[in-house]
Amino acid sequence: MISAAARMFAVVALASLLACERQTPEYHEQLLVFGTVVDIKLYGVDAKRAAPLVAQVAEDFQYMHEAWHAWHPGSLGRVNQLLPSGETFAVGPSLLPLIKRSQDLSARSGGLFNPAIGNLIALWGFASDEPPTGPPPTNAEIRAVLDLKPAMSDVHLDGINIHTDNPVVKLDFGAFAKGYAVDRAIERLREAGIADAVVNAGGDLRAIGRHGQRPWRIGIRHPRAPGILASVEVEGDESVFTSGDYERYFDWQGKRYDHIIDPRNGYPAEGLSSVTVFADQADLADAAATALFVAGPKAWLPVARAMGVSGVMLVETTGTVQMTPGIRERIHFEVDELPPIIISEAL
Amino acid sequence: MNTKPHTRGDAVVMTVALVLLATLYGLFWQSDGHGAEAVVLVEGKRWARLNLFQDQELRVPGPRGESVIRVQDGQVRFVASPCPTQQCVHQGWLSQGGEVAVCLPNRVSVQILASDPRFDTINF
Repeated sequence: MISAAARMFAVVALASLLACERQTPEYHEQLLVFGTVVDIKLYGVDAKRAAPLVAQVAEDFQYMHEAWHAWHPGSLGRVNQLLPSGETFAVGPSLLPLIKRSQDLSARSGGLFNPAIGNLIALWGFASDEPPTGPPPTNAEIRAVLDLKPAMSDVHLDGINIHTDNPVVKLDFGAFAKGYAVDRAIERLREAGIADAVVNAGGDLRAIGRHGQRPWRIGIRHPRAPGILASVEVEGDESVFTSGDYERYFDWQGKRYDHIIDPRNGYPAEGLSSVTVFADQADLADAAATALFVAGPKAWLPVARAMGVSGVMLVETTGTVQMTPGIRERIHFEVDELPPIIISEAL
Repeated sequence: MNTKPHTRGDAVVMTVALVLLATLYGLFWQSDGHGAEAVVLVEGKRWARLNLFQDQELRVPGPRGESVIRVQDGQVRFVASPCPTQQCVHQGWLSQGGEVAVCLPNRVSVQILASDPRFDTINF
């Protein structure tokens, strides 16, 4: 005979277990690699299985960071040393797919995403561990690079061999390598049987699966104030990349110079303070975020279409927010006062 | 099965059970997204866990020197850090579950914990 009290106890015990259950299924680790914070969350995986996997991802990130660094010695550093000679030489195997993929994305962006302008980025002081303090480079210095029109199509690959006839080509994958690395991290997690995860490399994220009973919830930073501007739910497999003028910049004589350089005129791109791109792959989202930032508030739509992104949200320097119609339906503003909003044509 | 004879003992046990259930419900299922705790990491390793309702100032040693983190009224922020850009300090107060501030050069970060954070991760 079971008394009512005993049965009640059984019910409460079960309820307690269910309540506690919610605390366990998420595994979270924060890595300081790739010159940024990488947030990794796995859902429904215990720490015993997750920890070695995340350690492996961290190792991959560290390797890629060193190999692809634009101004530290490494595979890419060596390529940049040899390219101006005009000679043909063998390129490190990890760099080949990165160069090919960035050539393709650069062509699709009409050259607005252009990793061949490493010399311009260096002129502005953004190819350095210490943040630049100005002054900006002179017009003559910029013209000396710009007049030779460095482009990814100047880089010729033949098997594992590379060469260029353009002496001002210098590769800088700062606007692309993180996205490419996030894709590799997701690949590695999937190979290990992980279905629900998010990898966020300092605002460059890709999410797969769900957070249990609900989608992943992503906060998007406010470009001009502390805290969150908007949030969006993501599930299945989607990349969300945010690039902003607040990340790296310097102020000189009352003017802000940000780190995203317009390859057409050699000066920092103006008009936008942040760009958030939605796409099915992280490397595409990364390259597109840069290309749209360069295209600016009036000309981004055809570039977004050409690159094949799935959604866009931009914040103009005036505070106005532009969005594609699909994103307007998904985005939730987290600020008390809504900014002026412009809905663009569909992609 | 006989459920009839409710003794006083049964009543006490049931009351305790209901209170326990309500408490657990409140603890684990009700959340407005505000975190009550934060975690400080140095080099990605846990250095301290902070109660956000216990005002205090911490000096966190990193490879470049000391980062100073302040806890006040349920919020937390960097108030000083030995880095050139001071991005961590400019980020200001954090209060929402999932929010994070980082001093990359000094390898120190602080993140708000919450049982059901409003954001799983933040694009910054």
